[in-house]
Amino acid sequence: MVTVEFFGLYRLNYHMKSVEVEASTVKELFKKLYEINPFYSVKELKHSIVIVNDVNFNDLKKYRTPLKDGDRVLIMSPASGG
Amino acid sequence: MSTSYGAYAGTVLKIDLTSRTVSDYPVSDEDRRLFLGGKILAARIMNDFIKGPMDPYGEENVLVVSSCPLNATGCPSSSRFNVSTVSPLTGLLTSSNCGGSFGCALKRAGYDALVITGKSESLIYLDITRDGVEFKDAEHLRGKKTMDTQRSIGGKSSKLVIGPAGENLVRYACAVSDERAAGRGGVGAVMGSKNLKAIVVTGTKNPAVYNEKALRKVKAKWTKRLKSHPLTGEQLPRLGTAALIASMQQKRLLATKNFTDGRYEGYKSITGEELAEKFLIRNKGCISCPIRCARVVEVNGECVKGPEVEIMGLMGANILNDDLGDIIRWNYEMDELGMDTISASGTIAFAMELKEKGMWDSGLEFGKTDNISEVLEEIAFRSSERGNRLAEGAKRLSDEFGGEDFCIQVKGMELSAYEPRGAVGQGLGYSVANRGGCHLNAGYEVVVEGLGLTINPYTTHGKAEIAVMFQNLMEAVSAGGNCLFTTYAFFPFFLFKRPNSFLSKTVNKALPYLGGPLHVINKYPHLAHIHLTAMLPHTKALEAATGMKITMGDLMRIGARGFNLERMINARMGVSAKDDKLPKRLTEEEQVPGDPRTKVPQPLLKKKFYFARGWDEDGKVKPKTAKYYSLDALDDIGARRSDAEANIGK
Repeated sequence: MVTVEFFGLYRLNYHMKSVEVEASTVKELFKKLYEINPFYSVKELKHSIVIVNDVNFNDLKKYRTPLKDGDRVLIMSPASGG
Repeated sequence: MSTSYGAYAGTVLKIDLTSRTVSDYPVSDEDRRLFLGGKILAARIMNDFIKGPMDPYGEENVLVVSSCPLNATGCPSSSRFNVSTVSPLTGLLTSSNCGGSFGCALKRAGYDALVITGKSESLIYLDITRDGVEFKDAEHLRGKKTMDTQRSIGGKSSKLVIGPAGENLVRYACAVSDERAAGRGGVGAVMGSKNLKAIVVTGTKNPAVYNEKALRKVKAKWTKRLKSHPLTGEQLPRLGTAALIASMQQKRLLATKNFTDGRYEGYKSITGEELAEKFLIRNKGCISCPIRCARVVEVNGECVKGPEVEIMGLMGANILNDDLGDIIRWNYEMDELGMDTISASGTIAFAMELKEKGMWDSGLEFGKTDNISEVLEEIAFRSSERGNRLAEGAKRLSDEFGGEDFCIQVKGMELSAYEPRGAVGQGLGYSVANRGGCHLNAGYEVVVEGLGLTINPYTTHGKAEIAVMFQNLMEAVSAGGNCLFTTYAFFPFFLFKRPNSFLSKTVNKALPYLGGPLHVINKYPHLAHIHLTAMLPHTKALEAATGMKITMGDLMRIGARGFNLERMINARMGVSAKDDKLPKRLTEEEQVPGDPRTKVPQPLLKKKFYFARGWDEDGKVKPKTAKYYSLDALDDIGARRSDAEANIGK
């Protein structure tokens, strides 16, 4: 199982802090998230900041990034301010 | 006095607390054109008084409270005003920006700024109206907290008050207007040293603007832009500044355990999301602000201002505390006692490390939170030996007990919650900021180094040029009266809406390598003879409000003029390259052991910065630079008194 945690506006919009999902890639993860909760929008997820085990998925294989049991994925809305 | 420009009141008052006399301070329209208002106009005035090192608590210190041209014009997010003085914390010129109603009221009462000198024999407050200034006894307000002081004075006037911390000369005491603070640098302590408990101002008449119709048009477009931008229209209103905590954690930017690390394992319970879900009652804004980033939370059954990202980091991760309820309460207590939350928190974290290393046992320990409220009271009232020492700030603690290498301050001012080893451009900014270790005066480069954009946080390429550009822009925007968040709308939507797109990734990769073009724009801002109305409507708004011709280049030039003038004043008080330095922990110890990128390469960045600024190797403003910004032959405004009339409308 992959643990997915949400931060930023997505967490408020999706009304969920974290969820456990079985998925072998980020692309599959997005699809499964949509199936679990229709609040999730695949389009919005694609434009989120996705961190897989502390590494931005842009620095990995993006949507094709492989996932395995025990991985941690953070999905964050782009943020700024201070 | 008068002015030919719109949106200004036309009068600057000089108030001598020693002799209890009031006179006009002859600021000319040429001064307004060159120095705009707020902190930059204040620096121009302070320039007349600071001839060399000065005792911040001496009668000779001056407190300049200045409004800005866009105050009371109804432009969005434009109620910011400024307090400048010689800081008791740094011994240098400090400026502190505040979003309370005081600036607008001051303008409505007919004054662009107050120049307060001398020292009252007894505790007083000033009651200012269009008819003049009354010196009123404030003995009945002694010891009162900031909100209680404002309530006790009563009425619908705007107030700028100090709490017990200011009265007791805590070096980082702030001044408070409504619920907003002029937080940094100890301006509240200077008010306290002058026996000035409060300034009350009653103003009802907005100054006339130059072109009402044009201004109305700009305001409508500007408000629409701010409301539709992903940051200012959605994220800041819903999550506040605290939205950054999770990003800071991911980017190793969250100051943890007195800046020994950039990540905190307990961060999840101190995020903006937790604040929104568990504590937020509603959001709130300063006057005329559509962003409304302030949090309203409940403490002791009362609705009060919630914490910002800085204190959530500094009173959370930086002292190893994961209880957000505690942070909310301490934030409220510090506001009420009238002390800067950033410096207070930084000083407490340093004391905790001193205790851990066996250098000074103050009873403060990382992870131990049951005595923090008690300590805050002791600091504000200087009621114990411990409180008395902590009231002096981290640097003076390190002078007494050692620990200079891990005393997280620059020029005596404690750093904000952004760990600069995760964003070296921010580290550069901290080290060269005129105010000291302030994240905003630094240029807030961290916003492109991970929080917002994601340029390489470790490279030295382009960082000096970006710092200079951001500093100039932020100086000018502050001087105009706007909140700095209005500059976020500068960033195109796609960078935030589509951070994974090819275009966004390309911008992030390319930006550090645009140092050359940025250098040219920084060096010759007058070449930027353009308006960027859609992204930065500030220039159009200033033109419509005042009647001055202000392009983007002019705006950047005003900002650079302010930054350089502050540096020249600080140089007279002894500042040079030796003072532009971070503590060794941040420049010599790797944040991630084994990764040499994770420390701030200070000498190289400083060298690049001085070059980009047009300063010499010792960090002095070169004569050529001073001349370009018309700073080479500033006269003494005060000495213009005899021929003041001749200068009007120049």
